[in-house]
Amino acid sequence: MELLELIAGLVLATGATYFVLLPILRPSSNESASSTVDEGEDPDDDLSPQTVALRALKEIEFDRATGKLSDADYESLKAKYTSEALAAMRGETGNGKRETGHVTSDATTFPVSRFPCPEHGVRPESDAQFCSQCGRRLGAAPGYCVRCGSALADDARYCNRCGTRVAA
Amino acid sequence: MNGHVTRRGFFVAAAAAVGAVLQDTTSAGRVYDPGRAGRALPPVTAADNDAAIQRIEKRIRCSCGCGLDVYTCRTTDFSCTYSPAMHKEVLRLAATGKTAQQITDEFVAQYGEQALMSPPRRGFNLAGYFVPSVVVLIAGIFLFLRLRRLTRDVQVSSPTAESAPPANASAAELERLRQELDRLPG
Amino acid sequence: MTLLGHLSLWLAFLVGLWGAITGFVGGAQGRADLQQSARHATFALFAALVVAVVSLEVAIFRHDFSLEYVAAYTSRNLPTFYLWSALYAGQKGSLLFWATVLSLFAALAQLLTSRRHRVYLPYVAAVTCLVATFFISVMLFAANPFQRLAFAPLDGSGMNPQLQNPGMVFHPPMLYLGYISITIPFAFAIGALLSKQLDTEWLTAIRKWTLVSWLFLSIGLLIGMWWAYVELGWGGYWAWDPVENAALLPWLVMTAFLHSVMIQEKRGMLKKWNLGLIIGAWLLSIFGTFLTRSGVIASVHSFTQSPVGYFFLAFLVLAAVASFTLYVIRLPLLATEARLESMVSREASFFFNNLLLIGLAFSVLWGTLFPILTEWVRGVKITYGPATFNFVNIPLGLVLLLLTGIGPLIAWRRASLPNLRRQFAVPVTSGVFMLLILLVAGMRDLGPLLAISIGAFVSATVIQEFTRGARARHRQYGEPIAYAVVQLLTRNRRRYGGYIVHVGIVLLFVAFAGMAFKTETQATLRPGDSVTLKSPYGHMYTFTHVSVSQYNQLNREITAALVDIRRDGKPIGRLRTEKRQHVDALGRPTFEPSTAVGIRSDVREDLYVVLGGLVNGTEEAVYRFTINPLVWWVWFGGFVLVIGGLIVLWPGGGSAPGARGRTQRAQAGYTVKLEAGR
Repeated sequence: MELLELIAGLVLATGATYFVLLPILRPSSNESASSTVDEGEDPDDDLSPQTVALRALKEIEFDRATGKLSDADYESLKAKYTSEALAAMRGETGNGKRETGHVTSDATTFPVSRFPCPEHGVRPESDAQFCSQCGRRLGAAPGYCVRCGSALADDARYCNRCGTRVAA
Repeated sequence: MNGHVTRRGFFVAAAAAVGAVLQDTTSAGRVYDPGRAGRALPPVTAADNDAAIQRIEKRIRCSCGCGLDVYTCRTTDFSCTYSPAMHKEVLRLAATGKTAQQITDEFVAQYGEQALMSPPRRGFNLAGYFVPSVVVLIAGIFLFLRLRRLTRDVQVSSPTAESAPPANASAAELERLRQELDRLPG
Repeated sequence: MTLLGHLSLWLAFLVGLWGAITGFVGGAQGRADLQQSARHATFALFAALVVAVVSLEVAIFRHDFSLEYVAAYTSRNLPTFYLWSALYAGQKGSLLFWATVLSLFAALAQLLTSRRHRVYLPYVAAVTCLVATFFISVMLFAANPFQRLAFAPLDGSGMNPQLQNPGMVFHPPMLYLGYISITIPFAFAIGALLSKQLDTEWLTAIRKWTLVSWLFLSIGLLIGMWWAYVELGWGGYWAWDPVENAALLPWLVMTAFLHSVMIQEKRGMLKKWNLGLIIGAWLLSIFGTFLTRSGVIASVHSFTQSPVGYFFLAFLVLAAVASFTLYVIRLPLLATEARLESMVSREASFFFNNLLLIGLAFSVLWGTLFPILTEWVRGVKITYGPATFNFVNIPLGLVLLLLTGIGPLIAWRRASLPNLRRQFAVPVTSGVFMLLILLVAGMRDLGPLLAISIGAFVSATVIQEFTRGARARHRQYGEPIAYAVVQLLTRNRRRYGGYIVHVGIVLLFVAFAGMAFKTETQATLRPGDSVTLKSPYGHMYTFTHVSVSQYNQLNREITAALVDIRRDGKPIGRLRTEKRQHVDALGRPTFEPSTAVGIRSDVREDLYVVLGGLVNGTEEAVYRFTINPLVWWVWFGGFVLVIGGLIVLWPGGGSAPGARGRTQRAQAGYTVKLEAGR
């Protein structure tokens, strides 16, 4: 009986050791097979600036419908979050464009500034690169955060100031 | 294997016991085996149910280590030997005409301050009673001031952005925004 | 099976150490092979611990009394049901159970975490392995469940009768599941701090886990209350026992987190606070374990005193120092943009909700530790009893309850006065109306008065939220009202599930308030004698002692007393209450006689009958009769709370087809980018 247990224990130990060391012994072992699942994502988990702004829009709409938000407040909040959502949306497309190398081609089609300042809204200058009120960089430019316009470190994957993911 | 045998043994014993009880109850008021019913208890007296006595006992901690007050301990399992003794002591002191305060004081003199379920509200004990509320209150005031400063900052800095409509939006963009909005649940 | 168990414990110890080292190193150096090895280590750890658990259970079922643990906590005649729970009936076994569940969660975290949070996983593996290794080392060096006795006794000492209750089979595992699963959010938080990936990603990675542990903790606490009520015999369910408090503390902190996390999601604020809460909740769970296992503070739950306490104290201090040092080092990376539109907004109310929840946690902790503090400061021992806890915490609790009603009425971001008036009109009226009714009915106790009226206010708030929400949907999408209510719940599970949790909380508060009106009496009755007791509702209950019978059952000798009950003269049933003398297989008594309470429960009041004992061995019995109003609502409120929690937790919240498509696209895009970036 004791012997059986000893053997079982040894088998267990050998198996565990092999299993644990396997990735090191054979680094080429198919990682994707054992890698994490792509679970059905909860839409609530999407915390990109655009979705957050869109969700805010939904919410203020609903809050007005249930009578929590006055019409005046609703309008001003709606304006604010619409411009935020637009900014985020353009930020996304802007990035896409940059990757394919056509950044400047369509920048002039906007009546006012292409990118609003997150704090001070739309700028009157149509080609504004920086906010004329606070000096923040507007919109997406390589090396600057798409959301808050802070300068990014070379290898940054997230903005140090607002935590927004830096698109690859 | 062994478990089976004993279990069957139990059933036999159980049957015998039930039979014995039936016989016993018909003849006299004695039960089959008083030993298994816990400690033999004296009959309940009016003093045991006396509200004033109970009030006193609820302020005194039983010294058996159960952490309960004397009244709760003596009426919970009826197996503690400390709490009935302390109960008797309370009754004795009450019979000598002492007030509730004097009785609890006697217990404090004997067992120390831990004999009271609630520490007396004086000296350092006040900290036990009021520190949490005071801390929450002070933190609340700080939080209020902080939030007020935050909201003031926002209101001073960005009235324009909030009142201005997003004039720069093209129709196509707004349409796309609307589509994205419809996609969101809620 | 002691040898195998022992071997697998050592194996688990080594594998855990390996996983911790490779996880941290692999994460820091970005070495994929080490990271994979750490990941594998969590699975191997789980496997080894399962083998250990099986070994112990086999020994328990085989009645192998040469094992000290088996001899100490079981006997040959222990019902099979409780042989299972013997695994966690004692200190050593429960440590093993704890480590095993932790390793299960560690493995699940590796398996279930979505690909986008992959960056945290090596650190998560490392932290979970490290914590599990600590528990295993406590077992190996201080409390080994596989320790042998020099000789095998004929029969074990049996399980404490109080643990031989169905509640005790479920209460510890549930509470442990809650306690232990906090480790996963904590591990993610540490992972976020170590990897410097401190944006909102870690938040989404752990939100579900936090909810899971909150839910388990809630269930564990509720079953614990139920057990205390039906088993301990003093007629209540909460006594502010240090160990109850220890379980309440992380629950309060998690509740605070579940609220404040919304602020971070919506507004990007409170990053530091949220991380701090997670770390705090985990440390409190370890603190609770320390309290339970050290015997520092006397409590019904205490395991026997042992050196294990020092292990936990050391671990607690080390873990606290390490995690807060890391936290402080990373603080500069956690700067957030503080933006708040208005003082009168949901956000602001959430700030105060957090203040109160954490304040309440502090207050409970303060009360629990105050006797120790007094002993240090004054050198005097004092008792900080339930009355004192109530005095300090009930006001805080009531304010919190009030906030439960106020918060949902205020819009996110901003509210204006006319809207507030419209929102508050109905709920405030309901609350005041309830207050007046109670006053007219003659209720004069301040606590219950406030609890019930505020409860009415909060319920009205929730009902109004549902009706106005449904009406808004009805207007917006033309849905029928009933369908709109269902849609509200399924489309926005977090908000409306949360409201249902609030209803559960209200029910609990009202039920707690009912305890202020309990009445009781003791009586010595001969067969045929009666005693009457007036209930708070004005009913006259007559209890008639029928008979005493004695018989044997399973592993106990029973003395049962029967009581006939009449309400206002009408018979409503018969209750049985027992004295139980547990015996081992040789018929030798084990433990003191225990009491089984007779309970008749209905929505208004519980009848709670305790057989105290017999007078001089005759059928004349000593009873305690108690009427506990509204206790039923504690269990029902708990049920509602759990249902609400499940609704919030249910996966795929509001998965409109469009939304699913969108996230999938986003997912695909993300993966492509990742590959391109390499």
